[in-house]
Amino acid sequence: MPKRSSIGSMALSATLWMMIGSAQAFDETKYPDLKGQWQRVGAPRWADPSTAPLTPEYRAIFEANIRDQKTGGQGIDPTITCLPPGMPRVMNVYEPMEIVVTPHTTHMLMQHIHDSRRIFTDGRDWPQGVEPTFAGYSIGTWIDEDGDGRYDVLTVETRDMKGPRTYDSTGLPLHEDGKTVIKERIALDKGNPNTLYDEITVIDNALTKPWTITKKYVREKKKQPDWRETVCAEGNQHVVIGKENYFLSADGQLMPAKKNQAPPDLRYFNSARK
Amino acid sequence: MRGSVSQSAAALIAAALCLGSACGAVWAFDDAQYPDFKGQWIRVSPPGQPAFDPSKPRGWGQQAPLTEEYQAVFRANLADLAAGGEGLWPGHDCRPPGMPPMMTAYEPLEIIVLPETTYIRIDHIHDSHRRIYTDGRDWPKEVEPAYVGYSIGKWVDENGDGRYDVLEVETRHIKGPRAYDATGLPLHRDDQTVVKERIYLDKANPSLLHDEITVIDNALTRPWVVTKTYRRNPSPRPEWQEYVCAESNNHVRIGKESYFLSADGYLMPAKKDQPPPDLRYFNRAKK
Repeated sequence: MPKRSSIGSMALSATLWMMIGSAQAFDETKYPDLKGQWQRVGAPRWADPSTAPLTPEYRAIFEANIRDQKTGGQGIDPTITCLPPGMPRVMNVYEPMEIVVTPHTTHMLMQHIHDSRRIFTDGRDWPQGVEPTFAGYSIGTWIDEDGDGRYDVLTVETRDMKGPRTYDSTGLPLHEDGKTVIKERIALDKGNPNTLYDEITVIDNALTKPWTITKKYVREKKKQPDWRETVCAEGNQHVVIGKENYFLSADGQLMPAKKNQAPPDLRYFNSARK
Repeated sequence: MRGSVSQSAAALIAAALCLGSACGAVWAFDDAQYPDFKGQWIRVSPPGQPAFDPSKPRGWGQQAPLTEEYQAVFRANLADLAAGGEGLWPGHDCRPPGMPPMMTAYEPLEIIVLPETTYIRIDHIHDSHRRIYTDGRDWPKEVEPAYVGYSIGKWVDENGDGRYDVLEVETRHIKGPRAYDATGLPLHRDDQTVVKERIYLDKANPSLLHDEITVIDNALTRPWVVTKTYRRNPSPRPEWQEYVCAESNNHVRIGKESYFLSADGYLMPAKKDQPPPDLRYFNRAKK
């Protein structure tokens, strides 16, 4: 049988210097308690689309997308084919979020499509030549705002995002140039440590000015919460062939998504040529 | 601007508290107690498509101790692959490999060790993150099966030096369908698989990590033990690429049939003489 270590005997044998060193390395008491399972409050919507400070060009893109959705189309929401929502949309928190704080990185784990994030808090500068990703590249700084010797706010800046992205399933668009910059302030509610806020400012060329909204999350009370696995590819009924979107019927057949939609071109099938 | 937390002052306070009632809080995050699993781990395997057992050739060369029934299942899968089909590998449809094949580390993995949970992040087909609970919990009565399964771990100090060196893990409640690798080498459909792991650093080279995996599965005549090795990326700030299966997947499944998407965006057969999909729901097809 392997020998299990005794934490008590280790504590007695460790030197005070070693204890100080390890406390410095990984002293969780310096950080706010963000443990547990966080759930969004309300529907996974960014904001009332009418409040979005979109440029006229992107307002027109959004309205065309709404017209497409009204005729049975999917608009410009990229997630229908299981593409990740990317930043900032992931902060809608489609599935519950776990925040894992370590000194060098804060991980946000969300089991949705590809929503998990790494926020580097190791003091790094922006690297050169970052490959854009849907989640973007995030650098964070912990701040002790009230000077009590403990961090209380995580400020984050995210760059190098890839598109296409929308704020939510309404198709409210971000600019296709991929130059979005997102700034966040993540902090527990001062009066209720089971409430978490993320104040998110989006700077994007589809906007006439920076757009700030605040997301709210509540902590699940269960000490050992269930973490449900969601797999987009498993239950996705959307099929995109070329530029057309179709549905899969309950009996597994291809069906139109829009009224009078033409079937796919089957030119590569022998029987279709006959 | 960063706040005014003084690390040395905080450390002194922490040390002082450690002599009193708050000692647990300091110890709770004492990473010196655990092996250094930090960084980016990249699988060590021969070039090409990885096999579940990296020490053996793919396919029958794996010498998996399959039952006769599952040898036949594997044979039929290979015939389907040879005819242009997808076989049994769920990754063709962007479904995650699940446990244990996810530990092949198709993309680099990160291990985050905290006292109550060890997390393994692998951004492959699915943004997979395993949670290995090390908080002493028992198996819950009801668990919704998941591709990653439900994992309980235990840290072990094998050499008695006061530091943990092996993470022992047991994983149950794994959902299917699953195959060990892209050849379609199957696990049993009953999803009763139990996976046991021993995860530890190489004693001579701390930049090598081993995962000794024992698969207990009803498609096997006996437990199958495979050891995987990962090499630590020497870069202190490695790149973490995003792998989005849906972005580049040219497989389309309609009903029970799988098709390809051509480069010019048309549906095309995956197999010779494969019939096109039934278009009964389209007005034009009814005419």
